Amino acid sequence: MSPVRSAALAVGLVLALLIAVFATRDTNRDRMTTHLVGAVAPAVVGTTIEGSTWDLDDQRGRWVLVNFFSTTCVPCVREHPELVAFAAIHSGADDVRIVTVAFDDRPSTVATFFVEHGGGWPVLTADTGRIAVDWGVVAVPESYLVTPSGHVAAKVIGGVTLDDLEDLLARAVAVVP
Amino acid sequence: MRPGDSRRRLTWLLVLVVAVGSLVVSEVAERPALTNADRVRDLAGDFACPVCQGQSLGESDVPIARTIRSTIRTMVDRGRTDGEIRSMLVDRFGENIDYMPSGDGLVGLVWVLPVMVGGVALAGGVASVRRWQGRGGGPAPRRPLVLAAVVAVAVLAGVLVAGTASDRSAGDTLSGDIRSSSRTLLVEAGVAAPDEAVALYTRVLEIQPSNAEALAYRGWVRWRTGDAAQGRSDLDEAVAVDPAYPDVRVFRASQRHADGDHVGAAGDLVVLDELEAPPIVGDLLAASRLRQRIATGLAASGELLAAVELLDSGLESRPDAAALLAERGWLLAATRSPELVERGLASLDEALAVDPVDPYGLAYRAAVLATLADRPEDAAIDVATFTGLDGPPAELVDLLVGTGLLVAGTGSGS
Repeated sequence: MSPVRSAALAVGLVLALLIAVFATRDTNRDRMTTHLVGAVAPAVVGTTIEGSTWDLDDQRGRWVLVNFFSTTCVPCVREHPELVAFAAIHSGADDVRIVTVAFDDRPSTVATFFVEHGGGWPVLTADTGRIAVDWGVVAVPESYLVTPSGHVAAKVIGGVTLDDLEDLLARAVAVVP
Repeated sequence: MRPGDSRRRLTWLLVLVVAVGSLVVSEVAERPALTNADRVRDLAGDFACPVCQGQSLGESDVPIARTIRSTIRTMVDRGRTDGEIRSMLVDRFGENIDYMPSGDGLVGLVWVLPVMVGGVALAGGVASVRRWQGRGGGPAPRRPLVLAAVVAVAVLAGVLVAGTASDRSAGDTLSGDIRSSSRTLLVEAGVAAPDEAVALYTRVLEIQPSNAEALAYRGWVRWRTGDAAQGRSDLDEAVAVDPAYPDVRVFRASQRHADGDHVGAAGDLVVLDELEAPPIVGDLLAASRLRQRIATGLAASGELLAAVELLDSGLESRPDAAALLAERGWLLAATRSPELVERGLASLDEALAVDPVDPYGLAYRAAVLATLADRPEDAAIDVATFTGLDGPPAELVDLLVGTGLLVAGTGSGS
């Protein structure tokens, strides 16, 4: 076989191999939905709209749903009643708590939103960009279920429903009682 | 081996040494120390915005890109190395956003593959030429002619490169530093201190003298920081360059309103209403109450019709804007003309139907009901709702205290 043909064959084989590898490896979307899952939850410390300090580490022993939110985001507004219902169902047992991290939003607007739409859980509005970067948040809404030991059990990109959350919690509790 | 062959080989070796040596020297030569701002800009340009197509962190203006830039700036200011910052970004957002991936693992193929392909192509080319030469038989190639052509192309390329060299700053790449593009400068200016922002906008205008965005924002920064004359000039020029640029209409309306030119300010907002402005412009207008303040200024100067037209213009694009309906009702009722008071009350009712806890709607309607419509009981209901609001605007509290509907300092109805 001539050298040129050999070279062409080698290049072709390398390209075919690369196509096969790249076609079967994890996509970025897979990474987005699994990022942080199983890892220790990054810090969430901040001042709530009522002015008190809230720290995720103080919640050890309970499940926590960390919800990244903005009043300017339509899916966030749409999912809010679902979160309110989820909080109401679990308020008696106090087995799950919610914290909202308002991202790129005005504190007064967020406060007004929660007055008008309900939601009595802590809402952090100051310096939340740092928290969003620590959690690798790309676009709101994103929600993370944190185990009583402080690890991330699940990540949800986009709006959630009450059924989704209950299902997620039930599956997580089954694995991490 | 003939004597000519060894001389030719020596020449080629010399050319190779000079070429490789030049590349190495240019790469390792000492470069001017980077400022923190330079480092932030360079790092932001080396990573893709996680949610945008084809834009770097430095070029994108979406919230997450701005937030990541701010984080990079904080880390740089705290003395973190570029490696630590790169590692943090890849850890948080994945290696897909890295324009300069590491040479490890599968990703390292992006560095190795071009070299491999180039090597194979070169080997193939050499083999083809040798085979072609081996065939012989044909006329000898006219080497001097080929050599002259190659030299001509090289000289031409050199002249072209030299011609563009004056457009580049020290440290920029041959093709121009994309990270210093006007888009990047505009983004940097958006988060810079006023003096630095004006300098950055001026740099953009040196590259693109008719950049409406740079003119508008430089004018706005200048005007807000006390350089009123230059600010007005920039804003007027931006409107002249691009009459359909929404941001400058808002800026100039604000500037004209502050200068007492309510008619001019209203004109800018009416033009703005006819443009396809991004929703954030409407949100900013609503948050600043600029339209209402201009309408109040117009009404106070006897231009009630123009004031109502300005509010109606805003209501065309946002029919459910309770704040505009409330302002409209208040201005009509404030004429004390019975017919207009009725129309004003209707507008206030409409505002509160849209938003039952709109503070302006509640306070204005209470004042109108109590002082102009002789309905104190209905006014008391609105006052009760108003006092239940969390942090109502001070100007409304003053209004209700002034009309005797609220007791000063107690926050409760009289």
